[in-house]
Amino acid sequence: MTPGNAFSRPQLLLLFVVLTAAIASGIAIFSSASTITAMLRTATDGLFLPILISLIVMFLLDPMVQFFEGEKISRTASIFIVYALIFSISLLILLLIGPPNWKGMVQALKADFPRYISRALEYLNSLLAVAQQHLPFIKNYDIAERIREWAQATFELVLMQTPKSAMRIGSLFLLVPLFSFFFLRDSRRIMRGLISLTPNRYFEMALDIYDHVSWQLAHFIRGRILEALIIGIVVWLGLSLTDIRYAPILGIIAGVTNLLPYIGPIIGMIPGLVIALVDLGMGGQFWWIFCVYLLIAQIILDNFILIPILISRVSNLHPLLVILAIVMGGKLYGVLGMIIGVPIASIINIIILEIRQYRRAFNPQNRIFINREELF
Amino acid sequence: MNPFWSNIFRGTDSEDSLAYFLGTVPIFRKLNRRDLAFLETMVHVRNYQSDEIVFEEGDIGSGMYAIRTGQVLIYNHDEHGHEVEVAVLESGDFFGEVALTVSRPRLAAARTTEQTVLVGLFRSDMLEAVRKHPSIASKILLGLTRVISDRLHQSNLRMQELLRQQPSVKEQSTS
Repeated sequence: MTPGNAFSRPQLLLLFVVLTAAIASGIAIFSSASTITAMLRTATDGLFLPILISLIVMFLLDPMVQFFEGEKISRTASIFIVYALIFSISLLILLLIGPPNWKGMVQALKADFPRYISRALEYLNSLLAVAQQHLPFIKNYDIAERIREWAQATFELVLMQTPKSAMRIGSLFLLVPLFSFFFLRDSRRIMRGLISLTPNRYFEMALDIYDHVSWQLAHFIRGRILEALIIGIVVWLGLSLTDIRYAPILGIIAGVTNLLPYIGPIIGMIPGLVIALVDLGMGGQFWWIFCVYLLIAQIILDNFILIPILISRVSNLHPLLVILAIVMGGKLYGVLGMIIGVPIASIINIIILEIRQYRRAFNPQNRIFINREELF
Repeated sequence: MNPFWSNIFRGTDSEDSLAYFLGTVPIFRKLNRRDLAFLETMVHVRNYQSDEIVFEEGDIGSGMYAIRTGQVLIYNHDEHGHEVEVAVLESGDFFGEVALTVSRPRLAAARTTEQTVLVGLFRSDMLEAVRKHPSIASKILLGLTRVISDRLHQSNLRMQELLRQQPSVKEQSTS
């Protein structure tokens, strides 16, 4: 042992034992933590979607519940009134119009889908032939074949998932009303309990920020859902004027994809345009459908009427964030994640904006008003 | 009486209940028992240690506090940053009531001097009550107006008195 060595033999031994113990306990903590998170994930696996939908339902129904709630009618009673009203109205609509023939429509779509794809690809190929004359190197890439494979795979996946998702939808019909009932009745109490955990010094600030954020959130969610609903109905009605088939399904697609800003409307447009092109050809009806999608639904209705009324400009996301949210949502929860990723990103955005605004205006450390002269 | 039955039939307005305490605060004096039961769901009960700051001078206020138990010191800071005592409030007193209707910076700071339980009523809950239970909210707001009008009246009288004592101030302010 050299004299310069600072550690004696027992000290080295002690160091060795301590380090070993530290590493071993670290591994133990890590493995138990990952077991616990895995258990948590398994336990909450199927609950994410019903809870999310019930929260949305809560935001949608809350104004109605507040309308009935008052001195004489308790909140619970008013929730039951709203439920009964919704149930009877949907029953009435079903009785008057009759249940839509979803099954027949899906069967027909199943038969028609390959035809649409092949016709669309033929059209695409003719376009490609023109392109190849000008840009010869494209020949190496078999774009049409790739698209065909991808479309077939997607469609088969959708068909395979349908019975599974039908079961899931059945359980949703049971869980969502139950969850949203409790959310409607007790959300105030739950949130008060959570806020009361904040330390005394920041309690007033937390209460104010919660008030602002919840107001903004309720408006944002209500606005988005109403917007999607109106766009879907308008597209459905606009398409019903032509001879196009599957107008209701196309309306639903347009409404749901409208939840995604910037990219959604374009994706929602594609199936309608493909069907129109194949079934009706490049005639006047095709251009009318194009106008319905782009001009009437998107530009006039959405941009000039719905967005200014329903959604404040504050909660608009940067396009880059939208794309990131879609990609990340898709990685986590597939197609569903793509649709709900953007609203969740907007919700986080609203919360950050509100907190920042509050801190700027009401910073307790920033004593602007300490001088009485400035105040009055 | 059998303790079992007395437990079941015990009234909710026993002297140590929160609703009873709220009824003793001057702002809520005109509220009946049902209103007080609703008010109980609106307020937040906060526990403070000794020497804990409730709010600082210049904070944006968002509500009023009533002292259930304990003691609160209201103070200002002078130019040199020293504390100037304004008032010492005891159990049953209330403070910060101006911030209940509008968000204004606090004109004084408040600090507890012993273990204290405060009952806070805040603007966001008040606005919610105005929407959902207008009659109770108007009773609370009337009580608040009564208290503030009394205070304004008194301070007006005091100002007149001061002006009478010092006519020079009046000349300065009118010129």
